[in-house]
Amino acid sequence: MNTAQTPQETLTGRAPALVTERLTKRYGSRAAVNGLTLEVPAGVVAGFIGPNGAGKTTTMAMLLGLVTPTAGTATVLGSSLDDPASYLGRVGALIETPAFWPGLTGIENLRVVATLAGHHHGRIPEVLDLVRLGGRGADRFGEYSLGMKQRLGIAAALLGDPELLVLDEPTNGLDPAGINEMRQFILELADGERTLLVSSHILSELEHVADWLIVINDGSLLYQGPAEGFLGRVPTVVALAPEHPRDLDRLAALVRADGLDPRREDTQLTVPVADDDAKAAAAALNRSAGAHGIVLAELYVRRPSLESQYLAAIGGEQ
Amino acid sequence: MIAAIRAELVKLLRRRVLVISAVTTAVFAVASAAIVLISAEPAGPPSAGRGVTVTSLSGAGGGTEVFTTAVSFAGVFVFVVFVGVVAVEFSRGTFRTMLMHQPRRLRLLAGKVTALLAFAAVVLAVAEALTWTAARLLAPTQDVATGHWTSAAALGQAVTDYGSVLFWVGGYALLGTTLAVLVRSVPVALAIGIAWAGPFEHLLQDAWDPAGRFFPGLLLEAFVAGGTSEVSATRALVTIAAYATLAAAVGATAFARRDVTA
Repeated sequence: MNTAQTPQETLTGRAPALVTERLTKRYGSRAAVNGLTLEVPAGVVAGFIGPNGAGKTTTMAMLLGLVTPTAGTATVLGSSLDDPASYLGRVGALIETPAFWPGLTGIENLRVVATLAGHHHGRIPEVLDLVRLGGRGADRFGEYSLGMKQRLGIAAALLGDPELLVLDEPTNGLDPAGINEMRQFILELADGERTLLVSSHILSELEHVADWLIVINDGSLLYQGPAEGFLGRVPTVVALAPEHPRDLDRLAALVRADGLDPRREDTQLTVPVADDDAKAAAAALNRSAGAHGIVLAELYVRRPSLESQYLAAIGGEQ
Repeated sequence: MIAAIRAELVKLLRRRVLVISAVTTAVFAVASAAIVLISAEPAGPPSAGRGVTVTSLSGAGGGTEVFTTAVSFAGVFVFVVFVGVVAVEFSRGTFRTMLMHQPRRLRLLAGKVTALLAFAAVVLAVAEALTWTAARLLAPTQDVATGHWTSAAALGQAVTDYGSVLFWVGGYALLGTTLAVLVRSVPVALAIGIAWAGPFEHLLQDAWDPAGRFFPGLLLEAFVAGGTSEVSATRALVTIAAYATLAAAVGATAFARRDVTA
């Protein structure tokens, strides 16, 4: 396990929204979640990352009382996992695909859920407006597009104005416009008070919204901590490709002479640099190459992405 | 549990459901009254089981005998409705949705079944009244006298018959719900339910007479028919109650303990 920073270090006295201690779920001999120990600070947008089958949905299902852990403990909003009724009223969740009654309208579906949870029905128009379904609430759920179904699922999750919102792959099946809308929506919901736990396999989406990351693979934790901590584990590089590949060795020698450490990648060099100095370093390398008669066909700064970090982490694990 | 009942009623008390239920009930009442009256034997003493005669129909309980006789043929339908209504909540993932808002599982299941039974109770009351009315209008065509149908004794018999049918529906509801909770798949649960409550038990009975004393579907039929030559109504009632207790325990345990992954 690689923990960059404990939540307590990042917070100002608020108890973590989620704590799991060696949480485990086994199906026969296979461990879907294997001794997962993590903490999610209150008020963050936590991205929950892992490949398909890594155990994200199973972990969320355990936190929501749908699946019983084989071993381990957890607390959600300070209450034990053993008593979901003590905390689920303060938790909103959309897990797997949004499941509602197709013959009922959006409003009727929310009325069922609100009645069941004891939420005030007056919240229904409010949450429908919030997810931009205000004009379609009287339509049947079965007639909704996938994006509308996802939004109704989030509306249901928001009925109780939850302290913790758990969203499992909320961009699944959405078109690019829908994905962008969902991203904006998550940012709107993240008000610093509410905690969001969002799983996704579209890493670029989480990169824009998550300030805390949990990375798991094969049911085990690879990383948890601030997003920038995860992103900072691989350096920013300047990539340079000479016009003629035969100049690569000469270019590498020039870079080394400048005190940098170039690496060869096919027909280009990559040079690790400090992120805040990347443009200046690129300009200096360009000048140096030009001064020695080497024409650069490509020169760009490549900053670490969540995807590259994730692939590096998964690759390292495997 | 009150919240679960009310939530289920939100689904049931919609215009569409009410209209479909009303039309179905009306058609059932008129059709079943006509069929039972036409198929009534011309004369003879009342016999145990479903032997409906003009003589028995002309008694105080004749009006509601038409109802109980007609309903007793709809056992598979009632069973299948409960199997489908519960199993589809698993298949569709809506139990997952409900459990995220009502994690007390037994309250949720009990509330759902209670609401469905309450709805069924109202439908049965309407069906009984409509069947009685239709039978009274059609009775003269089959030489069935209806003079005793409005007596105090007839009212008492109507209440007794209603209670029997409600118990009968409750029995099928409990068995259907348990099957759905155990199987959690609409097609598989329906296949098992239809095969069991339909041909399976009756084939067994044909091959082995005492089957009527032991199998739940046959016992429910015997109970609502007021007893058969194989088993009395009282014995059927006691045995069904034992089955119902067992089914409730098994269903509740499975629902409370199993993971909800769909």
